[in-house]
Amino acid sequence: MADKSIIVKDLTYRYGKLLAVDHIDFDVDVGEILGLLGPNGAGKTTAVKMLTGQIRPQEGKAVLLGHDVVKETEKVQSVIGVCFEQTNLYEQMSALDNLKLFAELFGMKDFDGYALLKRVGLEGREKDKVANYSKGMKQRLMVARSLVNLPQIIFLDEPTAGLDPVSSDAIGNIILEERDRGATIFLTTHDMWEADKLCDRVAFMDQGKLAALDTPRNLKQQYGKRSLIAEVAAGDKLEKREIDMDVDSTALAVEKLFEKEKVVTLHSEEATLEDIFIKVTGRRLTE
Amino acid sequence: MNGRIVRALLKKDFALFMSNRFYLLITVVAVVFYVGIYFILPSDVDEKLSLAMYAPTLPPAFSQLTTQDAAEIELFESEEELKQAVLDSDYQAAIALPADIMEVWAAGGKPQITVYYSAMAPPEISAAIVALVKELAYMQTGQALNFDTTEEVLGPDMLGDQIALRDRMRPLLAIFILLIEILTLASLIMVEIEQGTARALLVTSMRVSDLFIAKGILGVGLALGQAAFFMALVGGFSHQPLIILTTLIIGSLMVVGIGFLVASFSRDVMSVTGWGMLILILLAIPGFGTVIPGLLSDWTKVIPSYYLTDTVSRVANYGAGWGDIGTNLAILAGFTALVFWAGVVVLRRRYQ
Repeated sequence: MADKSIIVKDLTYRYGKLLAVDHIDFDVDVGEILGLLGPNGAGKTTAVKMLTGQIRPQEGKAVLLGHDVVKETEKVQSVIGVCFEQTNLYEQMSALDNLKLFAELFGMKDFDGYALLKRVGLEGREKDKVANYSKGMKQRLMVARSLVNLPQIIFLDEPTAGLDPVSSDAIGNIILEERDRGATIFLTTHDMWEADKLCDRVAFMDQGKLAALDTPRNLKQQYGKRSLIAEVAAGDKLEKREIDMDVDSTALAVEKLFEKEKVVTLHSEEATLEDIFIKVTGRRLTE
Repeated sequence: MNGRIVRALLKKDFALFMSNRFYLLITVVAVVFYVGIYFILPSDVDEKLSLAMYAPTLPPAFSQLTTQDAAEIELFESEEELKQAVLDSDYQAAIALPADIMEVWAAGGKPQITVYYSAMAPPEISAAIVALVKELAYMQTGQALNFDTTEEVLGPDMLGDQIALRDRMRPLLAIFILLIEILTLASLIMVEIEQGTARALLVTSMRVSDLFIAKGILGVGLALGQAAFFMALVGGFSHQPLIILTTLIIGSLMVVGIGFLVASFSRDVMSVTGWGMLILILLAIPGFGTVIPGLLSDWTKVIPSYYLTDTVSRVANYGAGWGDIGTNLAILAGFTALVFWAGVVVLRRRYQ
């Protein structure tokens, strides 16, 4: 098996004059969770469309598990699972029939739809029409559908967008389980918390370009600021004090704080991926 | 083609078709309605002789005709009015007597009698008219007299092939059943595009060609199944069933191609209904020509469905064979191949 699940070289796509994906390069290791972060319109979905064979790159190439996406689209599509941002289920069919259809298309023998639906928390509702499902249930079914063929690479495009915390956590757990199974996860999101929690590495995408690519920790160390935040008593009120942790004088500053002030609370704070994204691109993720 | 994938897609499409009450309702209601119309319409033809006459000089014996119950005869002031009445299908046949008929007979000559026929006149009417005139001449003079007749058919010549109205409607009803499937198929495709399910299918190991094959089989199955069922119920297979079946198969393929085209240039399901109805009305026009011969002029031959309805009409109602309708089928098959190819090309772009 190749060490790299995904190798992308100079990948480019234009919609007319708009350069949606601008000569991007990256690779993803087998069993890695890569998060592609960026605001709406950054080019994330177009990149996923090229990687999954939905559209042909106009320049550059993408190789998945040793197969060129353009030249060997069928081979690529037989080993990937795709969960779309837009809910696109057969609403008039049951959840079980939706999964069975895709299992048949992938030629999966002995497919157990009940077990998969149980795994995503839809047990007992297997034969209900999807039209009667809540948004969270539909999203969990979308994730389940992307797992039908036991894919080696799973593309998840905003899988938790607009979901309640319980559904988000359920999907997060499934992503981690799939990584443990050995699958590579390509997660597209603009949810920094989700990316920070789940991803081994994150890539910032802005205006079609990759602005940064590294582990969340390295990005925070490289671009972020660590601080100690203290609440101190000031008469009847509490006041906030901040001590920079990335300078040599941190220890001294802490000592002085305890000497001079009555410290009520003290905690550390580090930059979020949102902060890093703003620092790197000058734009907010949710613009 | 991957049989397993096509089977799975067909199973899914059929399940979606069956779960959509609207499609199911219009399908069942349409067949029941059309079969109902067929059986409600009269199965026999009017046998009463409908005759118009222009006679500047009316021999006394001929005037007796106007009192006969078996004949409906009206005298006209001019030969032009007489011809127009036949053209308007008011009369099945008309006789124009020369002004000098009595003088010619008296001189032992053979007067020239002109007989006009409606396009829908039965075959026996020609012989009946001649026999009638001979009888009247005998009554008039007491001896058999000779005369010459000039026969002219006004409108498309289908003399002798008078067909019951319900049988003339058969091709029209059959094509209605076929054409309605343009809407069904285009709507099913459009729903898949709108809801994004087509995108989900296209990232599996399925080929786009599998998708088209499945949609084609579904469309042909729905259209042909219903049209053949209708034709079987109304006796449309009594003459040359193989030709009728072949024609319906080509017609079903044409419907699928048009369905692909409608789905590809429509924006949503409402748009499918709008475009689909427009095309459906256009394609149904030639069917009316089989119900009322002479109603439509030759321009309807540019509408491809003309070759479908004309073939079904000529085979089912007039007993035409392969040799008679070969050109029709060739034109229909050519147009079907063209529209099918265009539909696949354009819809493929839409899917992608």
